[in-house]
Amino acid sequence: MEILKPAIAGTLESSDAQVTVEPGEGGIELSLTSSVMNQYGRQIKATVLETLERLDVSSARVTVVDKGALDCTLKARVECAVFRSCGASAANIPWGGAVR
Amino acid sequence: MGDTLTAISPRDTRAQRQVDALLEQEGIRRDGNLDYTCGLFDQDWNLAATGSCFGNTIRCLAVSGSRQGEGLLNQVVTHLMEVQAERGNTHLFLYTKPKSAKFFGDLGFYEIARVEGSLVFMENRRRGFSDYCAALEKTRREGTSAAVVMNANPFTLGHLHLVERAAAENDNLHLFVLSEEAGPIPFPVRKRLVEAGTAHLPNVVCHSSGPYIISSATFPSYFLKDEDTVIRTHAALDLEVFGKIAPSLNITRRYVGEEKASHVTALYNESMAARLPELGIGCRIVPRLEVNSRPVSASTVRQLIHGGQLEGIRPLVPETTWSYFASPEAGPVIEAIQRENNVIHY
Repeated sequence: MEILKPAIAGTLESSDAQVTVEPGEGGIELSLTSSVMNQYGRQIKATVLETLERLDVSSARVTVVDKGALDCTLKARVECAVFRSCGASAANIPWGGAVR
Repeated sequence: MGDTLTAISPRDTRAQRQVDALLEQEGIRRDGNLDYTCGLFDQDWNLAATGSCFGNTIRCLAVSGSRQGEGLLNQVVTHLMEVQAERGNTHLFLYTKPKSAKFFGDLGFYEIARVEGSLVFMENRRRGFSDYCAALEKTRREGTSAAVVMNANPFTLGHLHLVERAAAENDNLHLFVLSEEAGPIPFPVRKRLVEAGTAHLPNVVCHSSGPYIISSATFPSYFLKDEDTVIRTHAALDLEVFGKIAPSLNITRRYVGEEKASHVTALYNESMAARLPELGIGCRIVPRLEVNSRPVSASTVRQLIHGGQLEGIRPLVPETTWSYFASPEAGPVIEAIQRENNVIHY
């Protein structure tokens, strides 16, 4: 999927994450802030990148402010931000396809 | 539980009074520039937390003393970021007290510059400011470099005098035009008139100040105690930011116009003369250009336009600025200046 416009999903509340995606200049540029950076920073980064790859996003600027979200929450927030950014959140969500 | 987070309309006087009371209780005043305010109310409709926006900034955040430690501000900031995202602003800025800076760090904000003991300026992009400096660095040139920062609202012979003087005394002159919109003359016009007016000077490079050099018109004042402190803190912050920009362009001198009439500018220049040498940058205060033994200033030009005396500006501005204002294209801008109530202070 192609990131067409900036979009945001999630919140800054405890156990959630706020994900912002913006059009990139080729490649994924990830900026991560987390309240559990030392313990789970690598895991969070891997989950975000994996989700983006699954959605076939190859160029984006992604900002994640994590407040201790579980992997499933993080995935859902990334998916939501990406769908919002390409206008797919109202319809055309690929249930059973890229979203599993 | 049972909290409600909602926008507060400027016409909702009851809620606005609650906001004022909460801000006062937390030791801050309402900022003069706010374009969106929200409140978090409990089930009895008491205000527990509030926050506001102006342009691409987040301001006037407060949580009631009895409700602190519940993460309410996170909800308020999330809401304000969503409001900003709807406006198309994802690059956000805020100003806060140094003791709260860590809290905003946890919300994904990064420090740009700070004034010890009074204020920290933050943005939500890790590399926002360093990318701006890196972009400036591409225009770096050999030899001695000086800088001038101006609003150029609009570009007058006074500005040209300052620029010519600085350009003559240095190999290169980097000219920063304040890109924030803080008056009736839009930034693209202001910048174009500067570029046209300095086109005959080959060693002048024009830059947009970007979001990092802030106009005094929109500098937040809400947690500083009085007017003079606001001006001094604004100047101090501006100089810290400038001190970080200067090395990218190898700037060793800054030129400013002398100001006798304006208290604000006088205080500003005083701070600059004190702080710049500490940052290793020389400060040159250049006397104002006078026409008919009166100093030329952009506010005089705006006043003349405001009063309908368009011809009157001709001796005060370069030919390039005049030909713009004499052209039909300037119509809407002239109308906007004439609609303004206060044209003097920007």
